[in-house]
Amino acid sequence: MAAQALADAAFVEGNYAVAFPWFGAERRGAPVLAFTRVDENKINIKTRVYNPDYIVVLDEKLMDFVNVAEGLSPDGMAILNSPLDPEEVDLGKSVKTATVDATTVALEVLGVPITNSAILGAFASATGLVSIDSVKQGILDIFGPRIGDKLAEKNARAAAAAHGNIKIGKCKAERKYPEAKKWLPTYQEMPLSLATKPMKTDSGLVGPGSSVDNKTGSWRTFTPKYDEEACTNCLMCWFYCPDSAIKRLEPPKKVGFDMDYCKGCGICEEVCPADAIEMVR
Amino acid sequence: MAERRIVTGNYAAAYGALLSRVEVIAAYPITPQTFIVEHVSEFVNDGLLDAEYMPVESEHSAMSACVAATATGVRSYTATSSQGLALMHEVLYVAAGLHLPIVMPVVNRTIAAPIGIWCEHNDTMAERDSGWLQCFVENNQEVLDMVVQAYKVAENTKVLLPVMVNLDAFILSHTVEPVEFPDQKDVDEFLPHYDPKHAYLRSKDPMVVGSFASPEYIQEFRYQTEESTQNAKKVIKQVNDEFAKKFGRDYGGAVEEYRMDDAEVALITLGTVSATARDVVDELRDEGKSVGLVKMRWFRPYPTEIIRDIASRVKALGVYDRAMSFGTGGPNYMDTKSALYGHSTIPVLGFLAGLGGRDVMVKDIKLMFERTLEAAKKERVEKEVTWIGTRGVQP
Repeated sequence: MAAQALADAAFVEGNYAVAFPWFGAERRGAPVLAFTRVDENKINIKTRVYNPDYIVVLDEKLMDFVNVAEGLSPDGMAILNSPLDPEEVDLGKSVKTATVDATTVALEVLGVPITNSAILGAFASATGLVSIDSVKQGILDIFGPRIGDKLAEKNARAAAAAHGNIKIGKCKAERKYPEAKKWLPTYQEMPLSLATKPMKTDSGLVGPGSSVDNKTGSWRTFTPKYDEEACTNCLMCWFYCPDSAIKRLEPPKKVGFDMDYCKGCGICEEVCPADAIEMVR
Repeated sequence: MAERRIVTGNYAAAYGALLSRVEVIAAYPITPQTFIVEHVSEFVNDGLLDAEYMPVESEHSAMSACVAATATGVRSYTATSSQGLALMHEVLYVAAGLHLPIVMPVVNRTIAAPIGIWCEHNDTMAERDSGWLQCFVENNQEVLDMVVQAYKVAENTKVLLPVMVNLDAFILSHTVEPVEFPDQKDVDEFLPHYDPKHAYLRSKDPMVVGSFASPEYIQEFRYQTEESTQNAKKVIKQVNDEFAKKFGRDYGGAVEEYRMDDAEVALITLGTVSATARDVVDELRDEGKSVGLVKMRWFRPYPTEIIRDIASRVKALGVYDRAMSFGTGGPNYMDTKSALYGHSTIPVLGFLAGLGGRDVMVKDIKLMFERTLEAAKKERVEKEVTWIGTRGVQP
């Protein structure tokens, strides 16, 4: 929705703008991509954007395993959700960088760690491409019909709050991202009809058991804090955890959390009758 | 004054129904079409659209309900995708056979297996012999405009056939871009109330619709459909021209030619690849290459005469497909060759790219033009069907 709101902001200012998402059959919180193109003239091209002038990263943990600045043009700019100074961030490439603690802004204004509106305010002030008024308008136009005008207004306030809270500098270029290895077999190498047996590939395990390799805990914003003393071992959390990230332990221990797979959804906190679980940032 | 807003292709498809004042909507949600169903149900709920909204339990029921509703003499609407269209399959033939002018946006999505949600044309291509007319679009403005135009073509008394408006999954359905919304008053003038003379429900004037027919009759019924389909060619152009005059947007009719003046070769495209191909044509023209674009808009009826005329002006044709008829080539390629056989001897090359939603990039389209230019020079086809960007296959 943020990519669309940005396109709308540019459109409000008289430009042609296009925005589109790229995601799989995933769930809320999983890494996704979205693209926005802006031009004074009509835009025909329908491909994804491979060499952006600006990149916006909403989840700083992504930078640890995704080379987010890979296609960024050398004169381009990175706008990052991070409490750090630009000089403390390492994108493996020295580029103009703006940081904003959008998570804190979002928690203060919205009460939830959804940062897409706040980061748009940061984008406006960092790039000067669109005014904050247009960004607010874009958020109202796009978010309003989807989540209601009241929440849309709150999101516009989050953008305004982030607008004055950015730090601009240049990031470090010390990190060496490993060459992205992706399993891209030829058609001859691909199992017929995708009937896949457990198999080791360049990008890890595929087939049955591959989730052992594919750690999904990185999506987490909140972490469960567990009070073993308060826990009655009723196992409601174990029963309700959608990711089987809660394990039963040998007595006298009760339950443990598998942080490789816990996505911080907070269902365990919600269902715990003994208040033994608290979600913390 | 017509209003301009930035919206998704799905919204444009839904708004087309609103502007067309559809009276019955029966639809079942499926990714990536879901937002169309949500938007039209909101329009009805909010009182913007005075229609009967039927939340049915499957696509088979959605099309059955549209068939029944249209047979009573009202304008009906549905939308679907991929497996949803496949589930409608048998009822599509009923709609066409009964000459019921239903309009249905189809968000083109790959058909399982493997299961995927992205763009491929193999869902609608499988229905190309159902009797439905089919048009493909390249941007969200065209989505909206073609829903309105589709009703006008479908309801023409010389046609009376249902129409699929095909839009590429995600590349249009989930993409926002500026769209001009025509005034309701202008659309009302362009598309008057549906008042059928062939199928309706009036208790004092009873009729049977959908009766049994023996071999003494069915062949004549089939010829009616053939005649209607042939008639549609002329009507499509008339409706396009009338629309252009009223709303200022001229799509050229069944086919749009782009920079075809003195073009040595042309690429025939379907769907959103047409949009990217415009930029590629501009770039190649700047390099001094004599190339042009033929955007296939109405794939059913296949514009045989227009393609023959284009072939008489160029030295070679490339044909792009986003679906495969296994063992032969893409449907667009096969139909193009079939239209030209006995009329032209120029080389015709088929290109497959973007299956399952893979990005069709500028370099892919350039390769299509390069190969077509080569074939024009050599005056022969060295490879009939080229799969572009397929790992393990030499393009």
